[in-house]
Amino acid sequence: MAKLYIICIDDQREVLNTVVKDLESFENFFVIEACESAIEAWELIEEIDDEGDQLALVVSDHVMPDKSGVQFLTELYEDGRFALTRKILLTGLATHKDTITAINKAKIDTYIEKPWKKEQLIGDVKKMLTFFVLEAGLNYEKYIDALDQQTLLGELRKKV
Amino acid sequence: MIIRIIKSLICFGIPFILLWVPPEAFSIPGLTAVEQRVIALFTLAALCWVLEPIPAYATSLLIIVLMLVMISDKGLTWLIVSHNGDPVGTLIPFADLMAVFASPIILLFLGGFFLALAATKYRLDQNLARVLLKPFGSKPSRVMLGIMLITAIFSMFMSNTATTAMMLAILVPVLALFETTDKGKVAFALSVPVAANIGGRATPIGTPPNAIAMKYLTGDDYISFGEWMAFSLPLVLLLLMISWMLLLFFFPMKNKSLNLDMKGKFLKNRKAYIVYATFAITLILWLTDFIHGMNSFVVAMIPVAVFSSTSIVTKEDLKTLSWDVLWLIAGGIALGLALERTGLAQKLVTHIPFETFSPLLVVFFASVFALVMANFMSHTATANLLLPIVAALATSLTGLQPYGGEQMFIITVTFSCSLAMVLPISTPPNALAYGLGIVKTKDMAIIGIIVGIVGLITTYLMVYILNVINFFS
Repeated sequence: MAKLYIICIDDQREVLNTVVKDLESFENFFVIEACESAIEAWELIEEIDDEGDQLALVVSDHVMPDKSGVQFLTELYEDGRFALTRKILLTGLATHKDTITAINKAKIDTYIEKPWKKEQLIGDVKKMLTFFVLEAGLNYEKYIDALDQQTLLGELRKKV
Repeated sequence: MIIRIIKSLICFGIPFILLWVPPEAFSIPGLTAVEQRVIALFTLAALCWVLEPIPAYATSLLIIVLMLVMISDKGLTWLIVSHNGDPVGTLIPFADLMAVFASPIILLFLGGFFLALAATKYRLDQNLARVLLKPFGSKPSRVMLGIMLITAIFSMFMSNTATTAMMLAILVPVLALFETTDKGKVAFALSVPVAANIGGRATPIGTPPNAIAMKYLTGDDYISFGEWMAFSLPLVLLLLMISWMLLLFFFPMKNKSLNLDMKGKFLKNRKAYIVYATFAITLILWLTDFIHGMNSFVVAMIPVAVFSSTSIVTKEDLKTLSWDVLWLIAGGIALGLALERTGLAQKLVTHIPFETFSPLLVVFFASVFALVMANFMSHTATANLLLPIVAALATSLTGLQPYGGEQMFIITVTFSCSLAMVLPISTPPNALAYGLGIVKTKDMAIIGIIVGIVGLITTYLMVYILNVINFFS
């Protein structure tokens, strides 16, 4: 069975640890990885792809040395292999212009402002994962505890 | 991971062994090689549907392909040509096996899918729900009755899963307003899957087991759409009322008033009118076959043509149809075909001395067995496995005739399959309700067990009455 990954990216170690800790309830269903830079994230993503596993979700910071989060997410969007991957931008420092690029070019799915609330992050992640699981054609019943019920019901009622 | 390997070993290992043991081991006189293969394939299907090492529809496809290779007249030469002079057995024409994908039952269901798809797309379902719920006011117990009735009505024509998803989606925001100590929450969350499961029994297209039953109700035993509804609708309503009272009894509501805020209005464009009209006409045609002579299967094709030619169901929509459900049913039809055509069914039935058992006892045990089994595997798969055997049994159990014969036996077992709703895994509607995090497994089990038992008793009562009024031909 292919593994499903959630990757969190932030150049500040303590912030990164908090994000990963907030998401630990998803560990029963997803592999959660922490990366300190976009470059490290790309290396990991290539590995995941080589193994035939799937990248379900990326939670990325914006302001990072070497490569910005928006730049990274744009590359991810343009790479057809990760068309189903959901993208969350988690930042407190994005400028107006960055935000526009994030929406228009990187097509991010959710924008969360720092500092964030744990419940909100978990709620948004659940929603994103629900869309991913359904669009990837996975058996939603297996992941039902990690999904947003309202989103799931809304999507399922469209199916006959 | 280890569990997966063990599951696969059981599911594929046991049938493999069955293929290689000497035919004498089955102690069925005159068992042919082909019949032995059918036993192995049947075992494979049963194990795979229970343990699900692969998805249920994949099991169906696998056994159909294995049948084509192993027991069809165009199968693998070394398997179907006898080398030592012994006949291999009766082979099945490959075209007949492939035709299960387009069997009238499948097309009947396809017609149902088209109706449901169009209704959802043009928001007929939501708008009907809104209008139909209004008369039930705002008293929570009444609202719940309304929810249950509407869920049941929708699940007669839409899949139980889609209906449950739609109704729960309406309920979720309201349930959030309940106090945490209010058990009424549980009642509401459970009312939807229970009503969807029960409601599916009311029409031949309501749930796949019904369609599979139609496969075996042919010739003199044919039951029309209208006849099916005439006997099952009263039963469904009775069972709904009982379930409603059960839910209120076990999960009393504290909340005094409940307002379902549903927005929207009926669409008023050309296509929407076509949907409304086609839905109504199809239903009327289904109920009036005694006037126009078109049977349920032929009528089911009408919405398919109308919605396709008016672009109400588009090329893209076609891809969203639940082909897995259709193929799951196809696998069952293929199993039935193999059992019957190879002569295995006849051999099994004549070999086991069913004649000595009381026919009513056989019906009782078969229906209880179906109910228990369907709690642990898909209702459709249960019907796939049991109904071909039931059909074969019914023809040989001459003692059954005074009680309604084959029709009675098949209907009883079919209805039993749909009554299975004890566990979250019993049916997808249960899984959805459980996923809300409001219902505990224990709550679901209490209601599921009682509804199952009451459902069985009322089903017996129904077939008894049908027999008394000479419904069974």
